[in-house]
Amino acid sequence: MSHTFANGFNAGRAFIYATLVFFALLYISPLYIILTTSFKDIEEIRSGNLLALPDEPTLYAWIKAWGSACTGSDCNGLAPFFWNSIRIVIPAVLISTIIGALNGYVLAQWRFRGSDMLFGALLFGCFIPFQVILLPMSILLGKMGLANTISGLVMVHVIYGIAFTTLFFRNYYVAIPSDLTKAAKLDGAGFFSIFTNVFLPMSTPIFVVTIIWQFTQIWNDFLFGVVYSGSGTQPITVALNNLVNTSVGGKEYNVDMAAAVIAALPTLLVYVVAGKYFVKGLTAGAVKG
Amino acid sequence: MGAIDIINVTKSFGDTPVLKNINLNIKDGEFLILVGPSGCGKSTLMNTVAGLEDVTSGQINIAGRDVTNLSPKNRDIAMVFQSYALYPTMDVRRNISFGLEMRKVPKKERNQTVDRIADLLQISHLLDRKPSQLSGGQRQRVAMGRALARSPKVFLLDEPLSNLDAKLRVEMRMEIKKMHKRLGTTIIYVTHDQIEAMTLADRIAVLSEGIVQQFGTPYEIYNDPANRFVADFMGSPAMNFIECDIEDGRLIVETDGQDYKFEVPDRDVLQKSGLKRVVLGLRPEMITEAKPDQKRQFTQEISMLVEETEPMGADTMVTGLWNSTEIQGRVSPEAGHAAKLNDKHTLLHVDTSKAVFFHLETGERVR
Amino acid sequence: MLARIENYLPKIVLAPTTVVMVVCMYGFIAWTAVLSFTKSRMLPQWDFVGWDQYERLFNNPRWLVAIDNLGIFTLLFIAISLVLGLVLAIFLDRNIRAEGAIRTIYLYPMAVSFIVTGTAWKWILNPGLGIEKLVHDFGFTDFEFRWLVESDMAIYTIVIAAVWQSSGFVMAMFLAGLRGVDDNIVKAAEIDGASPARIYWHIILPIMRPVFFSSIIVLTHIAIKSFDLVQALTGGGPGYSSDLPANFMYTFAFNRAQMGLGAASAMIMLFSVLAIIVPFLYSELREKK
Repeated sequence: MSHTFANGFNAGRAFIYATLVFFALLYISPLYIILTTSFKDIEEIRSGNLLALPDEPTLYAWIKAWGSACTGSDCNGLAPFFWNSIRIVIPAVLISTIIGALNGYVLAQWRFRGSDMLFGALLFGCFIPFQVILLPMSILLGKMGLANTISGLVMVHVIYGIAFTTLFFRNYYVAIPSDLTKAAKLDGAGFFSIFTNVFLPMSTPIFVVTIIWQFTQIWNDFLFGVVYSGSGTQPITVALNNLVNTSVGGKEYNVDMAAAVIAALPTLLVYVVAGKYFVKGLTAGAVKG
Repeated sequence: MGAIDIINVTKSFGDTPVLKNINLNIKDGEFLILVGPSGCGKSTLMNTVAGLEDVTSGQINIAGRDVTNLSPKNRDIAMVFQSYALYPTMDVRRNISFGLEMRKVPKKERNQTVDRIADLLQISHLLDRKPSQLSGGQRQRVAMGRALARSPKVFLLDEPLSNLDAKLRVEMRMEIKKMHKRLGTTIIYVTHDQIEAMTLADRIAVLSEGIVQQFGTPYEIYNDPANRFVADFMGSPAMNFIECDIEDGRLIVETDGQDYKFEVPDRDVLQKSGLKRVVLGLRPEMITEAKPDQKRQFTQEISMLVEETEPMGADTMVTGLWNSTEIQGRVSPEAGHAAKLNDKHTLLHVDTSKAVFFHLETGERVR
Repeated sequence: MLARIENYLPKIVLAPTTVVMVVCMYGFIAWTAVLSFTKSRMLPQWDFVGWDQYERLFNNPRWLVAIDNLGIFTLLFIAISLVLGLVLAIFLDRNIRAEGAIRTIYLYPMAVSFIVTGTAWKWILNPGLGIEKLVHDFGFTDFEFRWLVESDMAIYTIVIAAVWQSSGFVMAMFLAGLRGVDDNIVKAAEIDGASPARIYWHIILPIMRPVFFSSIIVLTHIAIKSFDLVQALTGGGPGYSSDLPANFMYTFAFNRAQMGLGAASAMIMLFSVLAIIVPFLYSELREKK
C-alpha cells in the first residue's frame, strides 16, 4: 500500500516530482555517459561535450574492447575473459544453489539438536570480511593444485556462497508449516522424496532469487578473481581493471567504456529481465545478511 | 484390527516433562478423544502414536505389535492435521493418492481408490483443483480423503475441525461420526472443544499437565468426574464450585441472607470422611426454577438474589451468590425473565442428587 | 538398515557444509590469527613474534591513512546513503506516477560490479575530459574539479561512486519497510490531526527502526570490505592517499610478500566488523524473546 494522506499536501507534490526526476537523471547519467562515450571516436571525446550524443556513432571501441584491447601483456580484448567468467559462474551458481537448497531444507524442516547452532555459525559466514580467509585459502588452493585455475575459483565461490544460499532457502522453507513434512512422512515419503515431491515444486521463486543473487555476486566478484586467478583464467572484472590500467599509447576512454558495458551487460540484463527477484534477493539477503 | 496400547509413555523436551507415565488401552474400532487445555500434551501424545516424535520411555503397541521404534510410514496409520497440510503444488487427486504412490500402488488401482473416496466425501468435482482453489470445508474433506485413501488401521485426527466456522463444524462432526460407524476403524481424535469430545467419543481421556486425569465414557466423565479439574473442564457452562461447611453429613449453604442445609445422597461418605469443609460441585442444570409439583427427595427449595440473567435461547442462566461464591443456575426463559423483573429474589429448586464433592486443597473427589 | 540411514540423512546432507564451514571459515580465521603473530613474509613460517606485526601495522603511515580513510568513507557513505535512500523512498511512496520506472533507475547501479562503477566514474570525474570539461563547455572556465588527482580529496570520489551504487538499495529497503506499515495506523494518526511530516517523524520512522539497523549493518559491511571500487577508481592513489584497509591488506599480503602484516590487518578488519555486528545481532535476538 502506498501511503496517501487525505489532508492537502498537494502543494509539495511538484517538489516531490522534481526531486525524484532530478535524482533519476543523476542516477541514469553515468550509464548515458558510458554508452555515448563508447560510440564516440577518440577525437570527439577530446573535443566534444561530455553529454552530447555521438556525432558519428562508431563501433570501433566495442570491437576493440571485445577482440583486441590490451589487458596487460596480452592484446586479445575481453572476449576470452568473458568466457572465463561464464565458465566460473555457471558451475559455481548451480552447485552453491543446490547445496543451499538441501541445507535450507534440512535446517528448516529436519531440525535436530544443534542444527540451529549450526545455522547461526553458518550465518556468520555472510558477515566475515573475506580478507581474513584470503591467505590460507591461497595456500590450500596451491596444495590442491588448483591455484590459478577455473576450478579453484569455482570452489572458492561455492564455499563462500553457501552461507548465503543456505540462508535464502532456510528462510523460505521455514515459513512452510512443518505439518506438511509430517503428512508426507505419514504418507510414506522419505527425506529425498519429500524434497522432490513436496518442496521442490514450490521452490521456483526462491530458486530464481538465489540464482540471480549468486550470479550477480560471482560475476561481479573482483577480490577472489584478482587473488586466485592466473593470466589465462582471469574473470572479466579483473581483465577490465587491467584493460583500463594498461596504457599502451594514448588513453582510449571509448574503449574503456565499451569494455565496462561488456563487463556489466550480463548482470544488467538479468536486472532488467528479472528485476523483481533481484530486489527480493537484495532485501532478503540484507535483512539477515 | 487396530487396538492401541499406550504403556507407561513418558516424553520430555530437554528437562521439561510433557507426558508423564501415560497408560491408555484403546480397543479396536473405538473412537477415543484426547481432550484438555492447550499445552496439556494431547498433541504430543498423538504425535508419539504417529511416530512423528520419539517417546522418552515407554511402549506403544498398535494391533498388538510394538511400534515404539518404527517410523511413521511403517505404523499403518493416517492423520488429519489441524492445518490440513495439503500439498500446495499437487491437485486434489494427487494429494489423496500420494500415500498410495509412495507405497508403490499401481496407478490404475490408485485412481480407483481416489474415485471411490471422492465419491464418498462428495468431492469428485474438485479432483483437478489445487488446494488454494478450495474453500475451508473442501480442504477439510480432502484432508479426510487423504487419510481414508490408504485404509489404515488407525486414524489420528488432530483438531480437524477447529479451522471451520461453527455451522460447518457441526455438520462435519456428524459426518465424521457416521464415517466412523461405517468404517469401524480405530480413531484417536485430539480436541480442546469439550462439546466435540462429548458428542463424538466412545471414550474420552482428559489430559492436563501431561497426566491422564480421567479415562472413561462421556457419561462417566460428565457425571462422575475424577477430580475438580475434569469437572471444571467438561461441561459448558461450567460446573459450580462452592466451599461449604459439613454439618452432620449435610452441607451448609448461605444465600440471600438465609442458611440452608442441603441433603445429599452421599451423606455417609461425607460423615465418614471426617472433613469439616468440602467443595460442592453442582452443574448449572441442577439449579432450576421452583416447580412445586416436582419436588423429590434431594430437591431443596431456596430463595436466591438473582444478580445477573443471561438469556441463551432455550434457557436462561441466572447468577447469584452462595457462600459468597458466584454460581450459575439454568432456568426456563420465562423464569429468567420473571427474575429480572420481580425484585430479583427468586425461588429456585436445587437438585443435589448428582452433587459431587472435592477436597479443598487437592481437588480430588471425596468418595 | 535402510531405515537407519534414512534417520541420519539430514545430518549426512549437512555434513559437507559443516566440514567446509569449520575448515574454510573458522579454521582459516584461526590460521590467519596465528599467522598474524608470526614473522611470515613470502611463505608462512612459525616464528612467533607476539604483537610485533600489530605494532608494525600501527606504526605504518599507510595503514593509518587507510584507517582514517575508512572512517571518513564509512561515515559519509552511510550517512548520505541513508538520508538519500530514505528521502527517495518516502517520496516514491506517495502514489507516484511511473514509480516502477523511477525505482528501476535508482536501483540499477546495484546490479553492476564495483569495478565497472569505478571505471565509469574514473572517466566521469577525470579532470581533463570529464565533469570539469563539461562545466568549462558551459562557459564556466574557472571551474576546477580535480578530486581524483588530489591526495586530500580522492577518498571523496570513492564516496560519490559508492553512494551512487548503493543508495538505491537503501531506498529499496526503506520502500519495502514503508509498504509494510499498517495503513490503519496512518489513518488513525490522521484522524488525530497529525500532519504528514509529524506522522513520518513520530510514527512511521520509529516503526522502521529495524530497517535502519539492517541498512546500517549492510552499508558498514560494504564499506569495510570495499576493495574493488578503490582498485578501479583511484588504485589507492594518488600515492596511497585513498587506500582502504582492504587494499592495504591485499597490497601487503600479495604484492609485497608481507604475510604476517597482511594477516594482522585482516584480523583488525574482522574485529571491526564484529564490533558492529555482534551488538546488532545481540539486540535483535534479545528483542525477539
